[in-house]
Amino acid sequence: MTAQAQQMIEHIRQLIRKPNVMIDEDTPLVSSGLIDSMALVDVLLKLEDLTHMRIPAGKVQPKDLDSVAKMFATAQRVGKPRK
Amino acid sequence: MSGLIPFHDLVEALEAAPAERLFVTAWIDEDEQETLTFGEFRERARTQAGLLLQHGVGAGDRVVILMPQGVAAMAAFAGAMMLGAVPAFLAYPNFKVDTEKYRSGLAGVTANLKARAVVIDEEFPEEMLGHVSLGGETKLLRAADGGSKATKMLDARVQSEDVAFIQHSAGTTGLQKGVALSHAAVLRQLEHLSQALHLDPTTDRIYSWLPLYHDMGLIGCFILPMVCHVPVVMQSPVDWVMHPETMLQIISEHKCTLAWLPNFVFQFVPRRVPADRRREYDLSSLRALINCSEPVRTSSMVEFQKAFGVKSAVLQSCYAMAENVFAVTQSGLTQPPGQIWADGHHFRSAHRIVKVAEGTPGAVSFTSSGRLLPGHELRIEPDADAVAGDGAVGEILIQSDCLFDGYYNRPDLTAQTMVAGWYRTGDLGFCVDGELYVAGRKKDLLIIGGENVYPQDIEELVAAYPAVHDGRVIAMGVYNNDLGTEEIVVVAEVENEALLAHAAEVEQEIRSRIVGGLGVAVRTIVLKPPKWIVKSTAGKPARSATREKLMKEYPELNREEEVRSQ
Repeated sequence: MTAQAQQMIEHIRQLIRKPNVMIDEDTPLVSSGLIDSMALVDVLLKLEDLTHMRIPAGKVQPKDLDSVAKMFATAQRVGKPRK
Repeated sequence: MSGLIPFHDLVEALEAAPAERLFVTAWIDEDEQETLTFGEFRERARTQAGLLLQHGVGAGDRVVILMPQGVAAMAAFAGAMMLGAVPAFLAYPNFKVDTEKYRSGLAGVTANLKARAVVIDEEFPEEMLGHVSLGGETKLLRAADGGSKATKMLDARVQSEDVAFIQHSAGTTGLQKGVALSHAAVLRQLEHLSQALHLDPTTDRIYSWLPLYHDMGLIGCFILPMVCHVPVVMQSPVDWVMHPETMLQIISEHKCTLAWLPNFVFQFVPRRVPADRRREYDLSSLRALINCSEPVRTSSMVEFQKAFGVKSAVLQSCYAMAENVFAVTQSGLTQPPGQIWADGHHFRSAHRIVKVAEGTPGAVSFTSSGRLLPGHELRIEPDADAVAGDGAVGEILIQSDCLFDGYYNRPDLTAQTMVAGWYRTGDLGFCVDGELYVAGRKKDLLIIGGENVYPQDIEELVAAYPAVHDGRVIAMGVYNNDLGTEEIVVVAEVENEALLAHAAEVEQEIRSRIVGGLGVAVRTIVLKPPKWIVKSTAGKPARSATREKLMKEYPELNREEEVRSQ
């Protein structure tokens, strides 16, 4: 696991206020109900921060953020370099 | 616009719009937008009408539209109305929802509507398609991209008292309640509303991210602009919630003047937009941001105002419901809505508003939802032992010239809510100086980010899990100050105490079942040993008594008073 992925997992643990929940890169987060739609923006902002990319609205859907692995794959696919 | 709407039906209003005027801009992101004039939109709607006509859809037939938010969905809706058919938007399947659950909800609603057609888009998920269960009379159609236009469809002109469309809310319970609205009722509502808003089609422009299957999105941001010929810029709810800052970007770029928003947005947006970026947006074009569909919280409005420096008169409020087409009250647009402080003890124990000075210890504050629209009447029905009159808190009953006739095909559900021409809203409120203040809810309903969620639907999903003692579960909405909206709290009894040692797994299974069934996430799950939930005299779980017990044991869950007193 990359350091970025580990940081994202830690961020998600804090976000959902469940420090003991087991999360790995493939744990379903949105489809399992661990993350609700109103928390997705916090995930996206962190993802932009960690990848130094900008992820445009309209190019990403909740299913693209369903696991930490998918988040980084999505950033690679649709992310643009920051201005 | 003088506010006078001279049309006989909604299609006539669309036909009368100036062809070159901008109607809808679908905003995807800064690189991708689609803008249609009224003339272009009419063409798109005619194409959809042509498709429906080819498949035998005619006047009075119900048509369910299952399409993502956007121009194509709106064109299909308008196209159905052009034929005199009766369209209904339903929520588009989202990937979180379990296929079986979606299928059974859709089957139920198409059967109740006896729908002639279900219209889906090109991208409709294949796996869902296999499970779309329809009655024998219902056809499944893909929305047309091209094809022939219907040219002779308006031979049989609709009557203004005919049903124009049907609105639903979400969940198994909400889908049973199709609110049927006539052209005349909708036009009367828009007449009142356009006057209250001083709507001017030459200068106004509406911004929206609201779903089209919800009354705020459907009426405020599609039908009102269509009938009053006002441009609207919209984005999808999902795109917005993942990038809330885009709301500011769109308002700023398109110089929008009006928007309706649920309460939580007034603090969700400021908290998600870094302070150094706030000044990038010019919100000076705004005439009104109307707080609607959740109880209005003063603290949320103040937070927005401080963050973005908009004039206080821009922040307005409204009380609305699908059963009345949309708005019942609207605050006056020239000054901020009224705000009062009341003695907390009298409010809670005597259900009465006794005004006190701002900031008095123990006081609670309320923000007005404005005055009744013309053609509307309101009655507050206090509890049996309470005193009626100005300041009495009780259930809000309404009567109006745009009230619905009933839930489609469900006279039983209609009878439960209509009493001698008055509609029981299930909301609690009071009137002071001619303004309505909504104080809470009598009915068991959760409003999560502006969307109605019925606790019964959640409880049914949880009760079906074998680790939970059958039927021993209560779902409730608890206000979360950080979110500015309610969050779902579920308390469930486990089948036996030994299961409490595996609480994490049980909780996760409950979470998955709820998100799979309803697409909503639960923030708090409390597992309890058998016999913890309070029973009613009939032996059923008692919601309010259980809530009280839970709040006593977990006072950290209840931040209502703290919030109200801010």
